[in-house]
Amino acid sequence: MTKIEGDKFELVREVIDTAALAQHVRAGQDGAIVAFDGFVRNQSHGRMTRYLEYEAYEPMALGKMKEIAAQIHEQFRIDRVVIVHRLGRLEIGETSVFIAVSAPHRGAAFDACRFAIDTLKKTVPIWKKEYFADGAVWADGELPPTPPSAKSAS
Amino acid sequence: MRVKVLFFGRLRELIGVAEETGELAVGATLAQVFDRYVERFPKLAGFRGSMVVSRNQEFAPWDTRIAAGDEIAFLPPVSGG
Repeated sequence: MTKIEGDKFELVREVIDTAALAQHVRAGQDGAIVAFDGFVRNQSHGRMTRYLEYEAYEPMALGKMKEIAAQIHEQFRIDRVVIVHRLGRLEIGETSVFIAVSAPHRGAAFDACRFAIDTLKKTVPIWKKEYFADGAVWADGELPPTPPSAKSAS
Repeated sequence: MRVKVLFFGRLRELIGVAEETGELAVGATLAQVFDRYVERFPKLAGFRGSMVVSRNQEFAPWDTRIAAGDEIAFLPPVSGG
């Protein structure tokens, strides 16, 4: 069953308040919250990272985040979902993405949270550029799956 | 026929265009729209196999035909998280 009421999806340019978001999904009928806190690593492929910059196709990214929530509501017995991604410049150790899922029981919360971050990394149009002491590169990334060709698409 | 065209990430950086309004032929496919940009920015030529395209904020196959007022975006591999 698709439930969006009580869920939260955001793209932000300031520090993500992870404690407040975890609190947001916590409700009386739940017994578990599983959260994923993705933050900026100090190195990439052996090079020391100085900072990262993220950009997004914002309306589409929010749409895809909502689709992920709809999918996990459909597949797992969960209560609420928050998915928040930060954009702009991020320093080492700062949270870039935070996902929290509440559920009556832990199994569904673990499975749904794992599915949500794995799917976000494949389908949500957000891009990361890594800045090193001696230059910058766009992260390799993943190609999102595209629907099959429909000759008469209108 | 007017459409909005957007570029992101390394594609945006490569050509220096983030967003513009394009004038395109009725019935053009997304592939043909991209080819038009390759003519203007030859540096885009090698990217077709390592990118995807969206039409009105949904991923779309390259042979999709566009309509007036569409929002088309050329998207490199995504790397959020």
